[in-house]
Amino acid sequence: MATILTVDDTASMRQMISFTLSSVGHEVIQACDGHEALMLLKGKKVDLVIADINMPNMDGITLVKSLREQADYKFTPILVLTTESQESKRQQGKVAGATGWIVKPFNPEQLLNVVKKVLG
Amino acid sequence: MNGPFSFNLPTSGRMTSWSRWWLWAAVGMAVSLMWTVAFVPWWAALGSGLCAVLTLTVLAFYARKQDETTPRAGEEVLEGHDAKQVLEQVDALMSPSKDIEQIPQVDEVLQSMAADNQRRRVDDLMRRWVDVGQRYAEAALVLRREIQSVIKQTEQATGTIASSFEAVINKATIQARQAMELLEGTQGAASDGVPQSLKDFIQVSDERLNKMADEVVRVADLSVNMVRELDGVQNRTQAIDGFLLDVEKLAEQTSLLALNAEIEAARVGEHGRGFSVVATEVRRLSKRSHEFSDRIRVHLKEVRTGLSKTHGDMRTLSAADMEHALKIKDDVIALTRSLEGKNREVAETVSRINAISKEIAQDVQNVVVSLQFQDITSQKLSGMLEPMDELRSTLYHLMQETVNLDKGLFKNLPGSENWLSHMHDDPAAEVEVKLTKNPEQDLRKVHGATGSGPAVELF
Repeated sequence: MATILTVDDTASMRQMISFTLSSVGHEVIQACDGHEALMLLKGKKVDLVIADINMPNMDGITLVKSLREQADYKFTPILVLTTESQESKRQQGKVAGATGWIVKPFNPEQLLNVVKKVLG
Repeated sequence: MNGPFSFNLPTSGRMTSWSRWWLWAAVGMAVSLMWTVAFVPWWAALGSGLCAVLTLTVLAFYARKQDETTPRAGEEVLEGHDAKQVLEQVDALMSPSKDIEQIPQVDEVLQSMAADNQRRRVDDLMRRWVDVGQRYAEAALVLRREIQSVIKQTEQATGTIASSFEAVINKATIQARQAMELLEGTQGAASDGVPQSLKDFIQVSDERLNKMADEVVRVADLSVNMVRELDGVQNRTQAIDGFLLDVEKLAEQTSLLALNAEIEAARVGEHGRGFSVVATEVRRLSKRSHEFSDRIRVHLKEVRTGLSKTHGDMRTLSAADMEHALKIKDDVIALTRSLEGKNREVAETVSRINAISKEIAQDVQNVVVSLQFQDITSQKLSGMLEPMDELRSTLYHLMQETVNLDKGLFKNLPGSENWLSHMHDDPAAEVEVKLTKNPEQDLRKVHGATGSGPAVELF
């Protein structure tokens, strides 16, 4: 099973994502913003990143851009999980290099299906 | 002024046309009446004076009423609290009155009265405007703190709910798994001939007990066969009895023949002596033959008695065996039925547990979705902080402008400068405030919460 990093400034969101993904055996690590996520990823390679957009210190779009600049994470799937649903924001995410866009609240079954799909 | 009969002189600065007029009239009247005292009786002068005073009072009262019912322009301005509207009204009031300009020959008293009136109204307006500004600024601060407190509290509560929920689900999962293991153990397959499940146990014991019952039935059948064989043997012994009778008869005839031969030999005399010996021997043999026959009959009788006893025993044995075997078989069938019933119950329980597990999985999904609304509502609430800060800032600037408009006007306002600075730089306002870097984002979160597009999209 895969190692997945979840980035969200809300603790309960991280808990729900972690709970959902670990139920099928994935290993889940957590970060509360883009900055902490980058620090964590320096020492560890993960198979998938699920990130929020609106976060203090470093937002999700900046995180996606920073990760795509790194050789290790050029092709790692990055899913954006956010309350934002506007087309302009989606385009911003797409341009930054995100793999997919999920609007909160997520349905656990749906999230697992998407994760399965992007992990191949 | 409390009533129509209080004729106290109006307070300074509030001297109105009617009061001044009344004063001069009263003085004139008094002087003219005092002069008449010399010519008319004192009571006539007093009566005329009282009449004059009464008339004046009525006139003065009427004049005052007229003055009061005249509407004061600008009073309705404060009905609406729109800051811009209020400012425009203040500007309008502060600019020199066009009406006054258009009347070049205005009475000095009236002009001073109009100016006085206006100043008073503006003063009142300012007081109320500043009061409103202050209260709104305070309310905005209180709201900000309350919103932050709500965000924090719901976050904590949701965190606790999420943790507890996770623990409950984990325990429920373990519980269900253990129950399933326990029940599936009774449903599992047999290995190495040893029954692993209740179902297999029932099958194996049923097979073996059936085999045993069949064996017992076979033994009983054999017993019946043996009884039948014994019957045959008994019939044979009866036949032997008949043969023995024939042998005895033969021996008696032989003995009689030998006796006759002996008599004939005695008659012949000496020549017949040899023959007489032979005849005697024949008689002796015949006698012995009879004796043998008797002994055989005795033995045969014993054999028949033994056979008869065995026959009875065999008959009892076969009947008892059969009965026992049939009873065992019935018992085994009943036991098997009961075990099969239990097994069905177990299977039903297993399927029920499976169904409940599926329901729990659905409930878990619902809870996971619902718990996320804490994050969504928190973001919406955070989004409300930015417009509120904008409101406070706007209020501050408006207040500032009001103060700069005419510093003299605010001399009477209690500590206006103090609270204005307080309003702008309240340290509490920035404590624990988590504003996102982009205020537009927050605004959009408030207004654009119902966005379009699919819930999931892979680029």
